[in-house]
Amino acid sequence: MTEVVQATIQFPYKRSLGPVVGAFMTALTDRRIIGIRSGDRVISPPLEWDPDTAEELDHDFVDVGPAGTVESWSWVATPTEQHPLDVPFAFALVKLDGADTAFLHAVDAGSIDAMSTGMRVAPRWRAARIGHITDIEAFVPGEEPVVPDDDGGAVDEPVTMMDYNASITYTLPVTPNAKRAEEANDEGRFLGLKCPECGRTYTGGKGYCPVDAIELTSEYEVDLPQVGTVTSYTIITPVQYPGQTETEPFSRVHVWLDDTDVILGYQPLVDVPNADVRVGMRVAAVWASEAEKADLASTAEGSLLGWIPTGEPDVDDPTLVDRIQ
Amino acid sequence: MPSADDIALIGWSISPMVRNTDKTEAQMLLEVITGAVEDAGITRREVDFTCAGSCDYVAGQAFSFVQNIDAIGAWPPKRDSHVEMDGAWAMYEAWLRLQLGDIDVAVAMGSGRSSTADPALIYPMEMDPYYLAPLGTDAASFSALQARALLDAGKVTERQMAEIAARCRRDAQGNPHAQVTGDFDVDALLAEDYVRSPLRRHDLPPITDGAVAVVIARADKARELCENPVWISGFAHYSELHYPGMRDLTSSPSTTLAAKAAGLEEAPVEVAEIQSAFTHEEPLLVEALGLGDDVAVNPSGGPLAANPIMATGLTRVAEAAAQIRDHGKHRTLAHSTSGPCLQQNLVCILEGGDK
Repeated sequence: MTEVVQATIQFPYKRSLGPVVGAFMTALTDRRIIGIRSGDRVISPPLEWDPDTAEELDHDFVDVGPAGTVESWSWVATPTEQHPLDVPFAFALVKLDGADTAFLHAVDAGSIDAMSTGMRVAPRWRAARIGHITDIEAFVPGEEPVVPDDDGGAVDEPVTMMDYNASITYTLPVTPNAKRAEEANDEGRFLGLKCPECGRTYTGGKGYCPVDAIELTSEYEVDLPQVGTVTSYTIITPVQYPGQTETEPFSRVHVWLDDTDVILGYQPLVDVPNADVRVGMRVAAVWASEAEKADLASTAEGSLLGWIPTGEPDVDDPTLVDRIQ
Repeated sequence: MPSADDIALIGWSISPMVRNTDKTEAQMLLEVITGAVEDAGITRREVDFTCAGSCDYVAGQAFSFVQNIDAIGAWPPKRDSHVEMDGAWAMYEAWLRLQLGDIDVAVAMGSGRSSTADPALIYPMEMDPYYLAPLGTDAASFSALQARALLDAGKVTERQMAEIAARCRRDAQGNPHAQVTGDFDVDALLAEDYVRSPLRRHDLPPITDGAVAVVIARADKARELCENPVWISGFAHYSELHYPGMRDLTSSPSTTLAAKAAGLEEAPVEVAEIQSAFTHEEPLLVEALGLGDDVAVNPSGGPLAANPIMATGLTRVAEAAAQIRDHGKHRTLAHSTSGPCLQQNLVCILEGGDK
């Protein structure tokens, strides 16, 4: 059974809307659906350019709908978490009255038996509208829009931005090599892999030699030294983006392990003031004690806490900075 | 005789197609690139240009294609490119690149691990972010809207759709790369529930992990390396509007344009490998391509037998090429598509012999 790792990635996008999509979203807050004239046609939802000629369209907006006719539909018996309704519903292409194109949205019809091509539908408005396609909760069968009793009314200022949030959980395989490298880290060792063709040595998690493009299996494993030289560094001033736990400027260094081609990138130093960080420093790995391991988050570094100066004289080699990979 | 500017396929390799691979995307590519260059009788060192098709949202990782470069063996440094599209478009770029005439051999590839996450949650991320993505519009829902339009227009019936599913999966029994194969009873299929009405499970492609790589070369090099190169006689793609409500979903004009630009009319084809991942797309594409009853459609089983997202289209090219090199056909067609409801379509015409 392959070991897997799960990671949930959030996709929090903020998007500017521009003059056309922005006008459409603003109109939604006023319980209006607008289209845009393109030649003899009315396109809704509106586009910025003529689909046939790619000419920018004049901002000649017209109200369409709010009712319309279902041109095609699909019944969604089991909605996903991203769908607008959490009960069975239909996706439908609705040709709104006065429009020449079809509008894609949900129809909350209760049952697949209530759906048919050609049926008439009208929007059910959300009470608190912000200028978003889901200000229409769904379309419902009939001619009359549904307005909630606690309707919040239109926004005061034009809508210029929208949020889009998605969250996806990914499940990825942990390769045998990555697993073995992780186990070695837990034991306070760096596992390496030596390519039998080119003789280069890589960190153990890699599955193949990227130069020769051959698979590196466990028979090519070697233990790597735990002492090395700093080849480059950076001092990072943290910006408080989501997930950033550092609050003060901190260093990250590249460490070239002795007698190998292995450069470990973006490593933390332990107890070294930023002003003392320099190329050529001799450093040794510091591993978490059993007691400290319990407090460590599960990270790619495993139980490696970082690097501490060995006290040896610096390596004086101006070409060190060329070694960053 | 081909001119010096003609370009041919000289090798290819298709990975096993499985529901859930234990390999990383780079590992899958490592195998098919090795397979393709060995099939072409060369090594990676003789490859001048590489182009990959893959998708970060599918991989669950930003710049995931950078790691995939490890599979190329990019040392000494290689000219490399990437498209966030099916590998068929990567091959299109490689084909264009070779036409500059300064280099001779290119590898194009496509790869996808659809098992990483729920495809129904990934797909909306690639849609119009204002009007479509916030509704969670997944591929099966879009396809169902197109299927309904075709049913209402009388262009297909649910029985015909079930027959297509049964035929593809029966044909796939002879394909070592297929994932879903077998003999299915059409009446039994029609008795099943809808997944997205009017689509039943058999109308949908499987969720597949897989990869494919092809080697293409300019004429002189192709003839030097290969006794039976498969010539690319035409290659074109066209796109339509993104928003499905602004298109006639009962036709596919971009497919027709691509076929014309690729020279399909010039001579008949014997086999068409088309990216009809949903059953109803087959009659629509066959009509748009103008294929007659004498053309074998998806003898490999097509995407209904294995649908490795980002590699499905390039697999069609490899299968269409195999029809010429390994099965004695003379002229075949490969098709790929991208976007909701067949928004963008690509046609590649292949020929054997000396043209």
